Amino acid sequence: MALRASRWRWSRAGWQRLALVLLWMGHGTWVLMGPPSGQRWGHASEALARPSQGLAARWAERRLAQRDAALSLTELRADRARLVAELEQVRLRATREAPRQAEADEAVRLLGLKKHIPLDLGAARVIFSTRPAVFGGLILDQGLDRGLVQDQGVLVPEGIVGRLWSVSATQSKILPADAPNASVGVMLMRSRATGVLQGLGSGRALIRYVSNQEVVQVGEAVLTSGLDRVFPRGLLVGYVAEVTQGDLELRVILNLSAPLDRVSAVLLLPPQPPVEVQPPLLAPDVKPAKKRGTP
Amino acid sequence: MRLPAPSSLRQHLFCGVTLALVALTAPFPVIQAILHALLVLALAPRPGAALSGALWAVAAGWVLEGTLRLYPHLGGTAWANLTVVLLAGWMAGRWPLEGLRSWLARLAGLGVLHGLLVHGAVRLAAGPHPWGWGWLWSLLTLPLWGWLSWRLLHPPADTGRR
Repeated sequence: MALRASRWRWSRAGWQRLALVLLWMGHGTWVLMGPPSGQRWGHASEALARPSQGLAARWAERRLAQRDAALSLTELRADRARLVAELEQVRLRATREAPRQAEADEAVRLLGLKKHIPLDLGAARVIFSTRPAVFGGLILDQGLDRGLVQDQGVLVPEGIVGRLWSVSATQSKILPADAPNASVGVMLMRSRATGVLQGLGSGRALIRYVSNQEVVQVGEAVLTSGLDRVFPRGLLVGYVAEVTQGDLELRVILNLSAPLDRVSAVLLLPPQPPVEVQPPLLAPDVKPAKKRGTP
Repeated sequence: MRLPAPSSLRQHLFCGVTLALVALTAPFPVIQAILHALLVLALAPRPGAALSGALWAVAAGWVLEGTLRLYPHLGGTAWANLTVVLLAGWMAGRWPLEGLRSWLARLAGLGVLHGLLVHGAVRLAAGPHPWGWGWLWSLLTLPLWGWLSWRLLHPPADTGRR
């Protein structure tokens, strides 16, 4: 038996029932959406939306933080570039000022030495050095025009340098203390034994005429004796480096304390200085008293 | 004895007139409540024509709430009317009327249910509200408008005497 599919169709009563159901459900829904229910729905939707709102707030905060970080990074880069440029300028300025700074430091040191020697000291600048050559010396920027004469003693804060060998109109030549023909009257600090300094070159010198009976220790300081009338007594010359017994005298070799190869400014002693000078009494540096209550 | 159903035209005519009176008696809430109960409980329900009765009941509810201008969210009365009129129509088809007394008794039961549903639905829709005295007057005057509706819908047969 063949089954015949019946055509599906809604009856009038069915449509009416559907309309009634929709009418009743629509009114019910509308009633349940009243203010209190609406508030409940609002609370429920708010609770449901809270996670997404939290995520959105975190996302917004993250974007804000990223923007701030980007701005900070940009500002930091700009600051870094500015600081790098300033650093380059400072380095360039320091490079330019370095010779002047060194000269100023040297001048300060010379001024400190000048305070300790109560003599009319002059200052001069070393403009050239011929020390590597045989019988070489140091050339100063002053000469007869500034009243310089031969055999004026020359010294730096570390010790004596030598004496003026020749003086021209505007320049002078120093005979360094380590020159073979240099002769400086010296004495040993501990034994007070005197002798004459004879240069060996390269910042070394030999003390002649020290008796075998003297006791000389390595590292002992050697001072000027003042007997040569070029340097007053008591200026530092160097330190004993080597002592050997000779036939008639001790062979005392010392290292000059003055850096002869790196001298840029010197002090000039007056001609024929007194044998001995008393250093002035310098007032110690007094620190300003702190006021009570000041940090 | 099974009473014949009132004519559709007559019933719709009475519903329309009562609905208009519900709208017009807005200044008199007690009278409006009585007319509203009359329309929903007595005139609108009709066995076999639930949709038309439902529409009249819904209209009565919206008109009543619209003229009251009292609730922040309307629709509760219409929903209760709809529910009650569907129930009344079903009851009319399931248990046909046999006389005035059963008609009044059914109206009384439906009236109580209608009052409760209206207040519940309005509470759901608009929140807590005062009950008023309309429901009480509707129940108190039920014999009057129940009898009137009975006479309107089921007029006595013509005896031929003038």
